[in-house]
Amino acid sequence: MSDQYLGEFEQLVLLAVVRLAEGAYGVPIRREIEKRTGRKVTVGALYSTLDRLEAKGYVSSRFADPTAERGGRSRRYFRIETLGSEALAHAKDMLDRMWKGVRLA
Amino acid sequence: MPGREGEIIAGDLREEFDARGGGRLWYWREVLSCVAVRLSPDRLTAPDLRQDLHYAVRVLRRNPGYALTAMICLALGIGVNSTVFTMVDELFWEPLAVPQSDRVMVIARAGDETVCSYRDYQEFERRLTAPGGRLFSGLLAYDNVPISLDVEGASQIVMGEAVSANFAAVLQVPAQAGRWFTPDDERPGSDPVAVLSDGAWTRRYGRNPNAIGRRVRIETQWYRVVGIAPPDFLGVSPPHAMEIWIPFTSQPYARELLANPAERERPRVQLMGRLAPGADLPAAAAALQSADWHIRRAFPRDNAPSGALTLAVSAGASNPGVRDVAAPISIMLLSVTAIVLLIACVNVANLLLSRSAVRRREMAVRQALGASRWRLARQTLAEGVVLAVGGAVLGLFFGIGANRLLARSIPALPHVGKVVLDLNVNWRVAIFAAAAALASAVLFTFSPALEHSRPGLTSSLKGGEAGTRRMRQRDVYVIAQVALSLTLLIAATLVVRAMLHARTIDPGYAIDHRLAARIYISEPEYTPESGTLFLARLLEAVRAAPGVRSATLSYTTPLSFSDSACATATRQERPRRSSSDVVVPGYFDTMAIPILRGRPFAPSDQAGSPQVVVVNQTFASRAFPNEDPIGKTVWLGCDEKLPRTMAEVVGVARDARYESLDEAPRRFLYRPLAQSWVGFVALIVEASGSPVEYVAPLRALLHRLDPNLRVYGIQTLEQSASDSLWKVRWQASLLAVFGGLAMLLAAVGLYGVVAYSVAQRTREIGVRLAMGAQRADVLWMVLARGLGLTAAGIAVGLALSAGGMRLLAAALYGVSPLDPVAFSAASLAWMAVAMLASYIPARRAMRVDPVVALRWE
Repeated sequence: MSDQYLGEFEQLVLLAVVRLAEGAYGVPIRREIEKRTGRKVTVGALYSTLDRLEAKGYVSSRFADPTAERGGRSRRYFRIETLGSEALAHAKDMLDRMWKGVRLA
Repeated sequence: MPGREGEIIAGDLREEFDARGGGRLWYWREVLSCVAVRLSPDRLTAPDLRQDLHYAVRVLRRNPGYALTAMICLALGIGVNSTVFTMVDELFWEPLAVPQSDRVMVIARAGDETVCSYRDYQEFERRLTAPGGRLFSGLLAYDNVPISLDVEGASQIVMGEAVSANFAAVLQVPAQAGRWFTPDDERPGSDPVAVLSDGAWTRRYGRNPNAIGRRVRIETQWYRVVGIAPPDFLGVSPPHAMEIWIPFTSQPYARELLANPAERERPRVQLMGRLAPGADLPAAAAALQSADWHIRRAFPRDNAPSGALTLAVSAGASNPGVRDVAAPISIMLLSVTAIVLLIACVNVANLLLSRSAVRRREMAVRQALGASRWRLARQTLAEGVVLAVGGAVLGLFFGIGANRLLARSIPALPHVGKVVLDLNVNWRVAIFAAAAALASAVLFTFSPALEHSRPGLTSSLKGGEAGTRRMRQRDVYVIAQVALSLTLLIAATLVVRAMLHARTIDPGYAIDHRLAARIYISEPEYTPESGTLFLARLLEAVRAAPGVRSATLSYTTPLSFSDSACATATRQERPRRSSSDVVVPGYFDTMAIPILRGRPFAPSDQAGSPQVVVVNQTFASRAFPNEDPIGKTVWLGCDEKLPRTMAEVVGVARDARYESLDEAPRRFLYRPLAQSWVGFVALIVEASGSPVEYVAPLRALLHRLDPNLRVYGIQTLEQSASDSLWKVRWQASLLAVFGGLAMLLAAVGLYGVVAYSVAQRTREIGVRLAMGAQRADVLWMVLARGLGLTAAGIAVGLALSAGGMRLLAAALYGVSPLDPVAFSAASLAWMAVAMLASYIPARRAMRVDPVVALRWE
């Protein structure tokens, strides 16, 4: 686990998933990141990251029923896994240690 | 975007689009981002593709029988293709085995076999290489010469190259031992030296290091061996393998011509050159042509060939004649092997299709779980790629073995010398094999991939019969296989028949019971006078020997060693080549050639008497149409500058075949030995018993007459005749092998289809048996299917052959391309094979237990 570290964008996506708890699917995840960081996220980048995270076992996904507002298409909900929480905590820990005692001029 | 994923993303976009209230630009930017992400490298080698390959390997491992069958079929197809391609590559593209061979150029003159005279070569060298020119770092001259080589009493005619002294320096070929030639060796009066090839050193001296310094006799001179060439260097005349190299100027005839300063056109040589570093081909070619023009102006000559000089990288066979002969054969062989590969691919396609029944459920489940059509097709393609790669690797190994067989199958002929085909797998061959594998993979997975990914597979989850459409598709494939392999088989049969026919062609003279020995009676041992006396003594002794019915002498050996002279009917005509021979009185009797008009040579035709000739029918009818040639004059002599000899026609001999059994009628001229001395003759002996058994006694007899007599190649005329047919024989055996292979592959395909249909119809068979059908009826039902397919295939194949065999007509001397015997024999053979291929599954059908069958679903 220690040799897999989270990239910056991966952390943002994971955090968004944690924040959104049960309602974490494509659209709100994007909105959350854009709202809180101001960073524009393309749908392609988002899903490729989510796939990667799922492949690593940090998140899991499930398919929900189709809804009318999506033109009859279903949603893919994401949920953070234990592995993902650990990775996130580890990443935060690393950053905290680096930040400790640093004063930006 | 395919698949579930695409749906999700589309859904997202739709949702947001509505929430944002529109925005096409935003929408398309998002779509673009997906595409960009998809194409990024880590997406392509994504788990998906690797997963496909892994899965394919697992599937194939679980079904080793199917995988192995497919790979072996492919290996056979790809293997024979790569073998033939290796041969073609070696004949057309293989560079010389010298350092930086891409800088070594061959110089050729359009319309002439040789390039220029030796004197001209020296001029070229002066003008084009340092210090006079900068575009070539070296120019060399060479000539192929059949060399009679005597070593330790054993005489043989071998191929050698007479070369300029800078030969090895220009080519940058080192000597394995000793040295190559130096300019000193070209000085007049210097001791003649020679360099042996590695092969010659091994064969004649057993790789003994003291071969260097030993003397060998070449023609009329003794040469000292000064060096051995490296093992992989066989000269600059591929595919011929040289055994020995001598300096060009050491040859007596060359020395004689070069001693005459007015002689500009002879002796003639070939040229090769090495480009200087930094020089490019167009500039060098231009410099070459300009030098050619200047030399012609500076040293005018008449009657010289004036085709343009060309410069090209040395690749493949050096002699354009070899390429001309090889080209149609190569095209034919490549087409044949391509057909074999096609048949193999169809087999694999059928194998894949037959598995689709088994895989149906799996595919249906995957489709239900959301796999797209492309995804399913990709799975099949992945399997195909794995099979193709396995087949290609196996095929290359198989091809290496086949290469060795092919290389050994090319015979060494006495007057052609050894032809060596290296047949090693090089990068061009590897690429070819890979391309063949890829093409095969695409070919044989195309249809199954379409099949496997057909939408609506879910219906099959609920059970159901196999589609009849698929059945018909496999049938069409098998019919195609049978048709193609029948075509090949017919081609093979035709060529074999042509070969057998060629063997029965009457050469026009008797060759049974006869053998020929070539002997040298030239200087310095014999002068024309002493030689004539010796030959008279020789003939007397041989004719008197027990077991000899008759003996005679001739310059040429029938069907082996030939000669030509120039003769015209009128003085004004330019000299015109005609095949010819020099014989003694009694020749026509010993060879049983009837004289149709006039008389044969008589002892009265001596050196001092009027010159006489005997011509053959073709000569008579072409030179003297509608006239009686007896008493007419012909003018002999090829050199227009020298006065020509008059000779009277005293006899007309029946036409015969002089150089090869399948040649067209040609002009032929006989001259008496007494009036036209040659120092190298064939002693032809008619033995009363078996000619083979007379070889040793004849050699002993000759040795008794003169222990130092140089005798070459005692061989029966029947053997010479057989040797002259080597090309036809070789083609026939190759085609027979490929035709047999094609038939085997197609038979396997037929068996597969019939066996598959039996498996599919097990239930039906069970029902029939339960309803009272006899087992024999079931047998017949299955056989009928197999035979029906075969019959259709044979019909198509016959139609194809009727049209296609005309392409072979040139190679089929004496046999019609539509020869009914060949067509029916091949068809019957196929029928027999088809019956066997159908019988095995039919027997299994017979043994079906109806109880079990009805329970099986």
